[in-house]
Amino acid sequence: MDLKWTKKDLLSLYDLSRDEILCILNTAEEFKKVSQRNVKKVPALRGRTVVNLFVEPSTRTRVSFELAEQRLSADIINMNADASSFRKGETLLDTLYNIQALQADIIVIRHSATGAPNFLARSLDMGIVNAGDGAHSHPTQALLDIFTIREKKGHVEGLNVVIVGDILHSRVARSNMWGLLKLGANVTFAGPATLVPREFEQLGVRVCHDLKEAVANADVINMLRIQMERQESGFFPSVGEYSKFFGINQDMMRYIKPDALIMHPGPINRGVELDSFVADGPQSVILEQVTNGLAIRMAVLYLVAGCLK
Amino acid sequence: MDEEKKPHEMMIEGSRISNAISQIAHSICCSFSKDDLANAALIGIQAGGVPLARRISRLVQAETGCRIEVGSLDITMYRDDFGTRPALPIIRETEIPFDINGKIIILTDDVLQSGRSVRAALDALTDFGRPGQIRLAALIDRGQREYPIHADFVGETVQVEKDWRVCMDWVEFSGTDCVYKIKR
Repeated sequence: MDLKWTKKDLLSLYDLSRDEILCILNTAEEFKKVSQRNVKKVPALRGRTVVNLFVEPSTRTRVSFELAEQRLSADIINMNADASSFRKGETLLDTLYNIQALQADIIVIRHSATGAPNFLARSLDMGIVNAGDGAHSHPTQALLDIFTIREKKGHVEGLNVVIVGDILHSRVARSNMWGLLKLGANVTFAGPATLVPREFEQLGVRVCHDLKEAVANADVINMLRIQMERQESGFFPSVGEYSKFFGINQDMMRYIKPDALIMHPGPINRGVELDSFVADGPQSVILEQVTNGLAIRMAVLYLVAGCLK
Repeated sequence: MDEEKKPHEMMIEGSRISNAISQIAHSICCSFSKDDLANAALIGIQAGGVPLARRISRLVQAETGCRIEVGSLDITMYRDDFGTRPALPIIRETEIPFDINGKIIILTDDVLQSGRSVRAALDALTDFGRPGQIRLAALIDRGQREYPIHADFVGETVQVEKDWRVCMDWVEFSGTDCVYKIKR
């Protein structure tokens, strides 16, 4: 029996069918087991070269991708924006043509410009894996979130998933929205009105500007990291006020179902969006998200590599 | 052309398959001492090797009273044809719920041809530990080996021209036991 996967790129969950999303999740289940063995490595991508091109800073996503590549036995090149020829004025596409000329197979790219991975995928024969572009898309983060939800709850369909924080600037929220809606979950975006515009309702999510009301019936609460610089731009009056209204602390837990999952894509601002009591509490699955991220990235790289000509 | 539309030809059915499996189980009982059997485990190569391993385990237990543990091994991540096939195969479950170090491992597969699956299985298996011995049982040996691999226990040997693929249905998967060939 063959897999229903034919794409050489992973750009956005918006592009994927429900079956393609399930294909990645199911494949990741077997890759998760590889990391639980003594020998945490398989030869699947032996002889393939993966380039990690992070034009925007990232630590955890880059480390997770790099480890996933090593566990698949791929050869790896890491490029940072600082050290590369972007500084000398070379265009992104020219840099990538040069990498392609070295017979690399897959590019994992993080870029601040929305659509950069889509642009590259159209121009290059190499496989492109989006590791986050602007406020647009971060498909592997959403996949690992959904994988964690499915693993803990047994299913995704019908679950009430609340995503809290700076939805306006969040690629994590958008990717989760597409993936969760395709799998039949009910999605709520919550946060201050300046960061959670009503327009999202047109895409099929519930918008809520009151945290207590938002979390009342939630099965999953995914807390986004709040960027401190947003305060300076006037999106909220102060970090203290944001935390008071939209952070989850011990007191807020009284309004949350005892079996609801608390998630966070990291890194956490402790005491801002999540209190340590909650972040380290029994309902938190934050570190399991990290573990599952590795399995998801192994699955994605494996599937993409298998479709390269 | 769709697989279903290609010419099929039935080769072996029903009780002849049960007999072949009994033959393998009996040979295993005769080849190992009781102590060795107590230290043995069957690991089926996904997918067709898994029901074979389970059935052999039941038959060996019926004959000797020895309970032989059963595991399953998926070799997809170890194949040597990654990216050269039109589609990726589904990755099935690998479950080895026992320590293989020092054990006698009997790998099982339904159809043995090139030996490439067995090569991949040996690599996959040794990532889990260092078995004392590894043996191979195949229900059908159709010849045409490409690697220097042979089975220690064989149910039936069949002669098939190279342009036919030998496939197997299992009661466990499709409700019927049969071996058939499909024109490539």
